Amino acid sequence: MPTPMNRGAFAQAGSSLAFKTGTWRSAKPVHVHATAPCHGACPAGEDQQAWLALLQEGQLQKAWESLVTANPLPAITGRVCPHPCESACNRGHYDSPIAIHAVERWLGDQAILHNWPYPRLPGSPRSERVAVVGAGPAGLSAAYHLARRHYNVVLMDAMPEAGGLLRSAIPPTRLPRDVIDAEIRRLMSMGIEFRPRTALGRDVTLDELRGEFDAVFLAVGAGKSRHWDVDGAVPADLHEGLALLREWLAVGAIPKPNAVLIHGGGNTAVDLARVMRRAGVRDVHVVTASGLPGPDTDTDDVLNVVPRELEQAIEEGVQFHPHRTINRLIMRGSKVVGVEMVRLKKLPDGNGRKSRVSFEGTETVLHVDMVVPAIGEVVDPTGLTAILAGRDFIDTDMFGTVAGHPGLFAGGDCRSWIKKLTNGTVSAAIGDGRRAAEGIDALLSGRPPAEENRPSLPFAELNLAYYEKSKRVQLPTLPLESRDDSREIEGGPDSAQALAEAARCFSCGNCLACDNCWTLCPDNAVLKTRETCSDGSHYLFDYEYCKGCGLCAAECPCGFISMVDDD
Amino acid sequence: MLEALEGSQAIARAIALCRPGVVAAYPITPQTHIVENISKLVADGKLRTELVSVESEFSAASVVLGASAAGSRSYTASSSQGILLMTEVLFNISGMRLPVVLTCANRAIGAPINIWNDHSDSMAVRDCGWIQLHCADNQEAVDTSIQAFRIAEATELPVMVCMDGFVLTHTLETLEIPAQDLVDRYLPPFAFDRMLDPHNPLSLGTLVGPEYFSETRHLAHQALSNAASTIVDADREWQSLTGRSAGGLLTVEGPADARIGVLAMGSVVSTFREAMDCLGAAPAKLIALRSFRPLPEDAIRAACAGLDHLVVVDRALSPGFGGIVGGEIKAALSGMNDAPQVHNVAIGLGGRDVPMEMWPRLLDVPQQGGGFRILDLEPAKLGEMS
Amino acid sequence: MTEMNDPRARQPRFRGLEAGHRACQGCGEALAARLVTESAGPDVILTNATGCLEVFTTPWPQSAWRVPWLHSLFENSAAIASGVEAALKAQGRRSKVIAMGGDGGTFDIGFQALSGMLERMHNVLYVCYDNEAYMNTGIQRSGSTPHAARTTTSPPGKERMGKRHLKKDLLSIIAAHHIPYAASASVAYPQDLRRKVRRAMEVDGPTFLLVHSPCPLGWGHDGSETIQVARLAVQTGLFPLVELERGEVASVMPLRHRVPVTEYLGLQGRFRHLFADDDHRAREEREHLQALADYNVERYGLDGDGDDPFDADGADTVRRGGPASS
Repeated sequence: MPTPMNRGAFAQAGSSLAFKTGTWRSAKPVHVHATAPCHGACPAGEDQQAWLALLQEGQLQKAWESLVTANPLPAITGRVCPHPCESACNRGHYDSPIAIHAVERWLGDQAILHNWPYPRLPGSPRSERVAVVGAGPAGLSAAYHLARRHYNVVLMDAMPEAGGLLRSAIPPTRLPRDVIDAEIRRLMSMGIEFRPRTALGRDVTLDELRGEFDAVFLAVGAGKSRHWDVDGAVPADLHEGLALLREWLAVGAIPKPNAVLIHGGGNTAVDLARVMRRAGVRDVHVVTASGLPGPDTDTDDVLNVVPRELEQAIEEGVQFHPHRTINRLIMRGSKVVGVEMVRLKKLPDGNGRKSRVSFEGTETVLHVDMVVPAIGEVVDPTGLTAILAGRDFIDTDMFGTVAGHPGLFAGGDCRSWIKKLTNGTVSAAIGDGRRAAEGIDALLSGRPPAEENRPSLPFAELNLAYYEKSKRVQLPTLPLESRDDSREIEGGPDSAQALAEAARCFSCGNCLACDNCWTLCPDNAVLKTRETCSDGSHYLFDYEYCKGCGLCAAECPCGFISMVDDD
Repeated sequence: MLEALEGSQAIARAIALCRPGVVAAYPITPQTHIVENISKLVADGKLRTELVSVESEFSAASVVLGASAAGSRSYTASSSQGILLMTEVLFNISGMRLPVVLTCANRAIGAPINIWNDHSDSMAVRDCGWIQLHCADNQEAVDTSIQAFRIAEATELPVMVCMDGFVLTHTLETLEIPAQDLVDRYLPPFAFDRMLDPHNPLSLGTLVGPEYFSETRHLAHQALSNAASTIVDADREWQSLTGRSAGGLLTVEGPADARIGVLAMGSVVSTFREAMDCLGAAPAKLIALRSFRPLPEDAIRAACAGLDHLVVVDRALSPGFGGIVGGEIKAALSGMNDAPQVHNVAIGLGGRDVPMEMWPRLLDVPQQGGGFRILDLEPAKLGEMS
Repeated sequence: MTEMNDPRARQPRFRGLEAGHRACQGCGEALAARLVTESAGPDVILTNATGCLEVFTTPWPQSAWRVPWLHSLFENSAAIASGVEAALKAQGRRSKVIAMGGDGGTFDIGFQALSGMLERMHNVLYVCYDNEAYMNTGIQRSGSTPHAARTTTSPPGKERMGKRHLKKDLLSIIAAHHIPYAASASVAYPQDLRRKVRRAMEVDGPTFLLVHSPCPLGWGHDGSETIQVARLAVQTGLFPLVELERGEVASVMPLRHRVPVTEYLGLQGRFRHLFADDDHRAREEREHLQALADYNVERYGLDGDGDDPFDADGADTVRRGGPASS
């Protein structure tokens, strides 16, 4: 029956809804929750975008709860992590990256201050028991993630206190002890059983543990210094860097030569250099094959040090010699009196890989009376010889699974390098612990382990018209003359600063709830919902009417909308 | 109560009695006095209406279109070039079925420019879908103006009340202006169920494509044709209230056995009535056609029954064809048994005087034979004009 | 179906223009009309000149309007709005009348009716959706078409570089009517547009809004670039956003960073001939358009002094939960 014509051909309000313009479409907009670069770069697996978003909404505790779904120790990582998230932050291409570490630290401190409880995942108690060997960052993280999943966890460590290298290798000037104490105490209160002074191979064997527990996670760290020499020459009084740092942290003793050369490019080298400088050593040199951050240095060739720590070290008078290595020790008898350095750089070779090339004719001599290697450590094989089988580290997959040893997992500094997983930082260890907990849970639940794997949002996908430039928060640091061996050097932001910094987040790849799509759709084909949609946004595409013009995708500030073919 | 009033003044008074919500007009000779009189009534507080003094006839028509759609009784008036400037809107008003009333103070159309009376203007908009009623005198014009609102609102069609410029608009006549309460009884308050209203938001003036356009035209034709009975009813009821008819669809005067008739519209009808009384010429019928649109075919045939000859008087012409009314009457009588022979002349173009002496000349037309011609043409003047 | 219908019924904003209208993909005019009617709210009566907007919203028996709407002719939107307003006044109703038209129906053929409406001080907001040519009939030049733009009646060729004449300075003509409020706005700045609509709605008297509304088809850009193009028109100074009260400039949207006109022109097919490498006239016309932008900047004092949340960079800034400057 055709519609009968009426007097004057009038039409009823909104009757156009009968006409479905969606049939015109050849491409359709979809919500794509791409990974924010910060998230993609985070060794611990934090989704910084997600918790910054909650801070933007003023939901402080929810933000912290979101953060600790990946990383239970934000007050610690906010202080010590070299924050690759900030290097990856898209805002760095616009003005300056979000000071994520500062906001993370503040949020962690807020949780301690207000004693916000760690939330558990929904579910009921599990009967299975899991042993975690080593209560450093990896072990703490695994224990926490297992406890969140309602497992019975026994965490053991050779030392009387949990914390691992947080206590033994990081100076309180960077990480105050009360912060470590507070985070670990709160984490332990989730019902984790802690067995102190329990060393593998001394107090318990791996076989015993595997007999007693349904799964075992090894997070024993790398406790043995890597062998170091220069063309076979080793000074008679050689002290290894991490050992010196541990000794200083434990008893406060540090050698005081006139001039020291520390060989290495990690936090241990820089921490030790600062301690020695503050202890009164006149000339403290750090020689490293890596480069300092700058246009001349590729991102994969930068010193693996928290950037602000590097700045502070330079402020304090530590002298860096980047892109150099030691060619020769100059000895007077068995004592070192100097070194010959040569310049080198990491360059692509003919096989498409990069290797270090030294440049003849760039040799220089440095007069020092002490040389300290800080080139890293390997796993102490005590109690692990069967697993190591002669290697320096334990081989695992990304979930920590040790092949050939069902129920055995490993992570943190004791596992061998895996492509795409950053090694050797507190955050990387936390990430390992989290993935191992997933591996263990998957094993015990009889399912394959899962890890989020979404594409990262490139800078070019952002629509910058909708953002204003704004200054990164400036954090207070102790003036040079006030720095000592115990007071924390860098201060945190106050609440207003932290929230202002959080507000700078572009929300890369995730809905900003800015209403742009809803406001700018000429066809009224974007609907706003009061309830949160399954993709986390508050917007729906009404494909009955969407003509596929792509305006919403073009004007989405944060790249949450993509156009895909629609046949 | 009888009053001596100028035609325009009488129309203004009649319109005021109808309580229009909105009046919009642009002055043009010879309609000007109507607008001026309405303005004065408004200024004196005797008429409460939104008087919109627009910048053109085009806008005048547009304003009453909008006002009518918005639910107000709306009125405008114009003439000649003004009617033509309104043309586009006039089609719109009827196409949208809006009950607007317009007074056309009939005037010739230029070039050459001429401000005097004939029917060129209303004939030019013959097909715009309006009801067109022609008035023989100012009493009829007053009564028709009031009836026009009643007819328009009952049919949801616009009504054009045609009255001859100067001859009626500027002429003092003794006539009766009805009492307000009588008009109020006759004309209910304006109601329009498609009114623009945020509580019932309709869309008026939509786009209609080939799949429905024929149906809209059919409905327009049907509505206008059906309006004939409303016109008759409205006049009949008016007559019952006032004792006066304004002429129905048409009136027939003269002896029943007359073999010759004259059909005319407008003020010449009054002249011929006078002539029939005064000159006592041969017995003839005078058919005063009031409703030109709708053209009442049945009534015309009935009026012509028994006639051997019918002389149709046009006050305008369609160059290259002839008289417009004449052509239409021929078509209306076509196929009728014993139809009279139709003769068609135009007279009184551009204000040329139509005296009583024209009546016998018209009755003489059948004897002269020949086709359409301008009867009062002065051939001697053609040399000067060519 | 029912799942989709439900949220549509519960949208937390008024919809004057519903989905299912037949505008082209990325139509700036549809967006502008949606924003205007949304900001004006339900208690309005619209009139609409013949044109794209009228055609794509009301193919009988359908209408995309959710507010009473009246269309008559190309050139009489302002006049029928005057009549509607007079009727409302006569009836004592207080709904606001909004007359709408494109640049053809406003700058050109309907200008007389508009001028009359303004002069008679009708309580009507007139909104001109300016897409700078007769788009409904297939992209012919209008009085609003910018200098040197290509249309089907101002094609470039051996003897011509697009439109020979300038864009009519309509706002100044409107200003000369000394009406209470007139403004220019752009679909690229919806918050600013909404504020201007609300401001105009509050005025008891004639007000005028000129809304720059890109036409992807007529301007030769992708439908997804409508906002980008509109934004550049503002940021180059070619389409200044200003507010006039009683004919005097009351405020302007300052430009934080002026963008060279070539960035705007280069996005659009209608200016492609201005980028011909081997044609000295192309350079001349580009410089001419830059000079026109510079003139606007000088005339309205558009250069900003420092960052301002209401300048052309700040006015569209977003934050979580909505626009920053609303």
